[in-house]
Amino acid sequence: MTDLATPPEERDVPVESHHTDHDDHGAHHTSLGLSNMKLAMWLFLGSECLLFGALISTFLLSKTRFITELAAGNPNVIEGLLPADQAAALAEQGVRGGFSDLPVIFQEMASERSVEAIFDIPFTSFSSFVLLMSSLCMVLAHKATEDGDYKNQRIWLATTALLGSVFIGGQIYEFTAFSNEGLTFGGSLFGSAFYTLTGFHGVHVTGGIAMLATLLILSFRGKLNSDRAETVELVGLYWHFVDVVWVLIFTIVYLIP
Amino acid sequence: MTDTLDPNVSGSAAHAEAHGDHPTEKAYWQIFAVLATLTALEVLWSYLGFEGPALVLPLLVMMVVKFALVAGIFMHLKYDLSIINGKYFTILFSFGLVLAIAVYFVVIATFKFQI
Repeated sequence: MTDLATPPEERDVPVESHHTDHDDHGAHHTSLGLSNMKLAMWLFLGSECLLFGALISTFLLSKTRFITELAAGNPNVIEGLLPADQAAALAEQGVRGGFSDLPVIFQEMASERSVEAIFDIPFTSFSSFVLLMSSLCMVLAHKATEDGDYKNQRIWLATTALLGSVFIGGQIYEFTAFSNEGLTFGGSLFGSAFYTLTGFHGVHVTGGIAMLATLLILSFRGKLNSDRAETVELVGLYWHFVDVVWVLIFTIVYLIP
Repeated sequence: MTDTLDPNVSGSAAHAEAHGDHPTEKAYWQIFAVLATLTALEVLWSYLGFEGPALVLPLLVMMVVKFALVAGIFMHLKYDLSIINGKYFTILFSFGLVLAIAVYFVVIATFKFQI
C-alpha cells in the first residue's frame, strides 16, 4: 500500500501515475494536492468568511449604539420602535412618542441595557441543535457515498435537507414573533443589523437545501456514485460552513448580552 | 508500481487513501455528541447569572472549540493535512482566517466597542 501522504518525489512513484487515482473520482491532480473544484470551494468559503465577518461586526456595533441610544431616550430611536398605528396617532396629535409609549419588551431592554429580552433562547437552542444534527447527517451522506451505500446516501441527504427546512421554518417563526413584538427591519439600527445578518444566513441555508435537493435528484438518476463522492463533499463543505457560521451567530448574537 | 496505482482499484478506495483516514461513522456520532453537549453547556452557562468576562470568555472558548471541531473533523481540514502539500493549504487557510478575525477586531476596537 502506498502512503499517498508522502510527496511523489519521496517515493518510487511516477507523477503521471498519480493522476490516475485522483481522476478516478472526477478530481484533477494539482501541485497543491487538492482538486481545482475543492480549492475553488475553499476560496468561495473564504470570501464568505469576509461577508459574515462584516455582518457580525456591523451587528455588534449597531447593537451597542442602539441600546445606548434607547437607554438615553433618544426620540428618533423611540419613534422607530413604536407600532405604526400608534406612531400615526401621535403624529396626528402633533406630539412625539415617549418612553412609556414603547412596547414593554423595549422598556425592558432599556432598563437592563441589553437586547436579550427579545430573544427566546430555548427555541434558538433547539434550532442550533437541529443545524448541528444536519451537519452530522451531511457528513454521513458523504461517507455513504464513498462506501457506495446509495440507500443510506439518499436517506442522509434527505434528512439533512429536512433538518435544514426545519431550521428555516424556525427562523420564519422567530422573525414573525419579533416583528409582532415591534422589532422591524426598518424601525431601528438593531433591527436592520439583526435581520440582515440572520436573514443572509437563512438565505445561505435555503441555497444549501436547493443543492441537497439537486444531489438527491442526481442520486435517484444514478449519477451520484462513489466515483463522484467529491461532489457530495463540496456540497458538504458549504453546508458545514453554514453550520459553523451559525455556531458563531448563536453565541455572539443570542448568548452574549 | 503499487496497488493504489492499479487501475482496477476503485475510485472510492483511492479517494479515501488520497485524503488520509477520514473518521469512522462512530467517530462522527461522537463528535456530534460533543458538539451537542457544548451547545447545552453554552446555554446553561448563559443562564447561571455570570456577568462580564466570567460570562463572555467561557462562551467564546466553547464557541471556538465547536468551530474547530466542525471545521477540522466534519470539513476534513484536519485530514487535508495529510494530502500532498496539504499543510501549506491549511496554513494558508488558517492565516487568512486569523488575519480576517484580527481585522474585524481592529474595526470593532476603532468604534470603541466594549464587551
